[in-house]
Amino acid sequence: MNNKTQDADASAMKTGKDYWLSLRDKADTPEYRALVEREFPEGTVELASSMNRRTFLTLMGASMALAGLTSCRRPEEEIVPYVSKPEEITLGNALQYATSMPLGTENYSLLVQAREGRPVKIMGNALDAHTGTASNVWANASILGLYDPDRSQMALANGAESSVQAFVGAWTPLFAKYAANSGAGLALLVQPFASPTLQRQLEAFRTAFPAAIVATWDAVSDANQFAGHGSAFGRPLRAVYDFTEADIVLALDADPFGTEYAAFENARGFAERRRVEKPDDSMNRLYVVEPSLTQTAALADHRLRLAAGRIPSFTASLLHAMAARGLAVPASLLAAAPADKSIDTAWIDAVAEDLLAHRGRGLVIAGRGQDAFMHALVAVINSLLGNNGSTVRYTAQPFANESDPASLSALTAAMNASKVETLIVLGGNPVFDAPADLDFRGALTNVGTTVHVGLHRDETALACGWHVPLRHYLEAWGDISSLHGQLGVIQPLIEPLYADGISDAEMLALLAGGTLQKGFDLVKATWQQLTPGLTDRAWRGILHDGLLPREIVFEAPAPSIDAVAAVLKPALFTAPALSADNMEVTFRLSPAVHDGRFANNGWLQEFPDPVTKLTWDNAALMSRSTANALGLNDGDLVRLNCAGRETPMPVWVMPGQAEFCVTVTLGYGRKNGGRVGTGAGFNAYRLRTSKALFHATQLTVGPAFSTVPMACVQDHHGLDLEKMAREGVQERLPQLYREATLEEYQKDPEFAKERVEMPVLRSMWKDHEYKEGHQWGMSIDLNACIGCGACTIACQSENNIPVVGKKMVLNGREMHWIRIDRYFSGEDDNPGVRIMPVGCQQCEMAPCEQVCPVAATSHDEEGLNVMTYNRCIGTRYCSNNCPYKVRRFNFYNYTKDMPETVQMAQNPEVTVRFRGVMEKCTYCTQRITIGKIAAKRDGRALKDGDITPACEQTCPTGAIVFGDINDPESRVAKEKQRDRDYALLGELNLRPRTTFLARLRNPNPKLEAK
Amino acid sequence: MAQIFPEWVNKVPGRIALSGGILVIFVIAGIWYYGSPEYTDVGYQPVQPVPYSHKLHAGDLGIDCRYCHTGVEVSAVAMVPPTQTCMNCHTLIKTDSPKLAPVRESWEKGTPVRWVRIHKVPDYAYFDHSAHLRVGVGCESCHGNIAAMEEVELAKPLSMGWCLDCHRNPDAHLRPLDEVTAMGWTPPANQAERAAAIKAQFNIKPPVTCSGCHR
Repeated sequence: MNNKTQDADASAMKTGKDYWLSLRDKADTPEYRALVEREFPEGTVELASSMNRRTFLTLMGASMALAGLTSCRRPEEEIVPYVSKPEEITLGNALQYATSMPLGTENYSLLVQAREGRPVKIMGNALDAHTGTASNVWANASILGLYDPDRSQMALANGAESSVQAFVGAWTPLFAKYAANSGAGLALLVQPFASPTLQRQLEAFRTAFPAAIVATWDAVSDANQFAGHGSAFGRPLRAVYDFTEADIVLALDADPFGTEYAAFENARGFAERRRVEKPDDSMNRLYVVEPSLTQTAALADHRLRLAAGRIPSFTASLLHAMAARGLAVPASLLAAAPADKSIDTAWIDAVAEDLLAHRGRGLVIAGRGQDAFMHALVAVINSLLGNNGSTVRYTAQPFANESDPASLSALTAAMNASKVETLIVLGGNPVFDAPADLDFRGALTNVGTTVHVGLHRDETALACGWHVPLRHYLEAWGDISSLHGQLGVIQPLIEPLYADGISDAEMLALLAGGTLQKGFDLVKATWQQLTPGLTDRAWRGILHDGLLPREIVFEAPAPSIDAVAAVLKPALFTAPALSADNMEVTFRLSPAVHDGRFANNGWLQEFPDPVTKLTWDNAALMSRSTANALGLNDGDLVRLNCAGRETPMPVWVMPGQAEFCVTVTLGYGRKNGGRVGTGAGFNAYRLRTSKALFHATQLTVGPAFSTVPMACVQDHHGLDLEKMAREGVQERLPQLYREATLEEYQKDPEFAKERVEMPVLRSMWKDHEYKEGHQWGMSIDLNACIGCGACTIACQSENNIPVVGKKMVLNGREMHWIRIDRYFSGEDDNPGVRIMPVGCQQCEMAPCEQVCPVAATSHDEEGLNVMTYNRCIGTRYCSNNCPYKVRRFNFYNYTKDMPETVQMAQNPEVTVRFRGVMEKCTYCTQRITIGKIAAKRDGRALKDGDITPACEQTCPTGAIVFGDINDPESRVAKEKQRDRDYALLGELNLRPRTTFLARLRNPNPKLEAK
Repeated sequence: MAQIFPEWVNKVPGRIALSGGILVIFVIAGIWYYGSPEYTDVGYQPVQPVPYSHKLHAGDLGIDCRYCHTGVEVSAVAMVPPTQTCMNCHTLIKTDSPKLAPVRESWEKGTPVRWVRIHKVPDYAYFDHSAHLRVGVGCESCHGNIAAMEEVELAKPLSMGWCLDCHRNPDAHLRPLDEVTAMGWTPPANQAERAAAIKAQFNIKPPVTCSGCHR
């Protein structure tokens, strides 16, 4: 054995690294072996119908004979030009419009690409300084939501088809009645928003009907934070984090880079501090304490597994540890928050020392699932540490109407007391997602007139007397206000797809004013108030930019320690011991379908959860030992019983789960979720009560009564898991995913290149000869990648990648061109998570090209490994020969039955693939060609950054860099020069054009030594 | 001893020979047909809803191609003009010509004229007009002398092999930019030199690999 390999082995052993894909991989069962050893798993070559090969051939022979006789001539095709062409449209050229997407009080500034009047691609608006061209999974997928064929197309009145006009007619007498009695008996339930126009309309509603009940509800919100900060600061403020200033971050049951507020802005700041370019660069350190692995934990340097109910005890202990080390903590606080000696004291001491050593440069974050008092306490801790004003500031988001769960409880109580005659539910789906103890569906029966305004005929729509279709944000006027005070316009990209419908601003104006007004007029009127003297020209400028940059000054008020001490009670810091008879359940927002609102979006249903890698389903996540104690295994369908409330849920054994803690994802199990959403997963809302919106104890798990096949994609398309390679998997995974601690990196900056013994590389093949021109390449910084998966969805949208359905995913046939590999490393119970996005590596010596019998995959002049669909005959040799497993095969004609509206979401610049054709990442070859032609047309040279593939464009942290490696000044060429650069499986001499920058971790030496 | 094979087996060799012969004929006929310009439909000249004469407009009247096909220099698509373009003139000229009845009807009713497509590349091939026009490839190279056609017909096969012929050796088709729409153009004697100059000017390296046209 060569020296270098020994080094690699030694380093792997020294750090105790033990890499694995999933528990199934670790257990290495015969079923698992069978799954990974077959390139295309069981059943993938059999036809779906009962037709066998012989009958198929017979029929094919006959139909070919017939086909030969007909179709001698090509079919006649028509060209249908405009009668009168809109001035701005040039057929064939895309137009981009700026708009904004509202999602609760969180909003995204977007640039939407439209083709001949139909929006096809969502991108971030580069003019928004806080987000740039980045966007997230939900924004990317919302384009499919626009074309959702199950969107409500017509109003319903008691189940019969009606119209918005009819509703206006029905509302007019009610309006007169409530205007006279100042709204007694009237109630309005809205979703949270941050919008000047909606806020203005809501104020108008309140003024018109002072006695009316107004409630705001979203299933998942930051209400706890507002309540906690209410006691700390006297006002319900929102914490705004500045990760660029934070050296030490402690996340307490928080997911600031995953599903929580402003996740991608947070991630952007965090990644800024991980962009280690040279050995003397500094790097931040992240500690995570949580019950269930989150996306944030994937970036953690240290993670402590702790039940959600014990996080307060941890925090109190930390406070005591810091007090013992000289932090001036008022005694009242220490007395109110007693320490808990049973939690890993070495861990707490290490964190306490680290935070104290970085006063003013640390940051403590409490997650939205933690109770209000925890947010108050954390605000005090940040203030005591001097972080207030440097890493954390506070603000009240302008024009925001935040979710208030108490208001929903009050509304339901009023409904049950028959105090509500007319209820209007504007947006949202409370019948599905309201806390189970409120029994919103039951409460509705006590209300005379119920009106639901929503995008879908969902559970609430069917339970209400009236249902009025809501307009999608891409077809309505509106506006938004960001956390930073920036204002944005929501402008329609397309005429409403369905004639009958109303926007939320129009509906609120109708309710408040009694007349139907145009959304545009409402928005314009608001903006004229906001910006006095708004000229037409300025307004056009705002519409062009999509936003009006404004910055509010964030505050850093000192929390009132007395007030916080008053809310703290020692009882809050004692959690009952957990056991099989008294387990804890935690609820979390789905990274895919959100709170259930995106359940009918196929892209999101098939989007693998960044950590569990489950698609089309949610599950009761539990640790191996908990599952063993209960005698359960993956896919076992059990009944979860939480204080008498029950729901079925399949079990999924998840490393990193705290003992006797079960985590369930909300948003699944829709009954009226549309053709995609109905029946996917199980409804976790049934366990959720208004007293315990995020975590509860008293959970018991019944015995398995059935099994559910779970579509987890991690074990599919496994890199290099064939028999031979698997024998050395422990040796190989650290070679695939290269990482080191900051200290190791400082000692040996070239560590990434040395992890593998590089043989003398001599090719069997003749090199491609490139004379000149662009040579495309990509670099992915594993240190900046947060595993959010936005690239996967952006790619799906850009490249017309089909959704295949759960059954197909179970067969390993998902089509995503970017697979985000998730590896675990370390202990079974509390592993580290390693995340690696893998698309086609665009090998220089591509093994796929060498085996294609028809030259359907070949090299082009610019070094791309191109796939020519019309030549492909579907042998799948290329995929067999691809060591990265990034090729995807169309086993069926997945687009055959695509509804017409969904076809409108397809990108016309990319061929829609047919059955029997192989496909893979192309580096967005269409964007390259269009970019080159545009440059040629304008007579300019292409410059770095002119062409961005969809993945790079959407990446919130800028982890993906694409460009011309022939240009030494390009960003990608510079990235590839960095010492952490390495090629995946570089020893195979395939010379991939995508290379990775190795991951660095920054562990605390005190904890690492342990 | 009983016969092993039934009597009908006697006919089998003959039938095999016969069907084999038919198959060979089919294969030859197939290659003959599908490989010929007949298949690519050169000369395809469908009847259009409006008897529009390119010869009259582009030839005799000398209207530039780009007056109607406005996208040709800025977009992948040359664009068949909207009815409005016809009506720019025909609200004044030949206002009651019976030949123009469908155009007037389109304009009044707002229903588009449904032309029959003549020039077509497959859906998986992405041709860009602007990329060609802006570097001096004339309209005529692909469409033939439109100005001489009373009714437009397909002049070139538009097959992949035909595209590649020019992509491999574009010299004969490169013109100065102000002559791209000229019809009946004949290359000057020094075309080789001029082509070399144009190639240098626009850095012309026509792609000959798949990604040039297929996405």
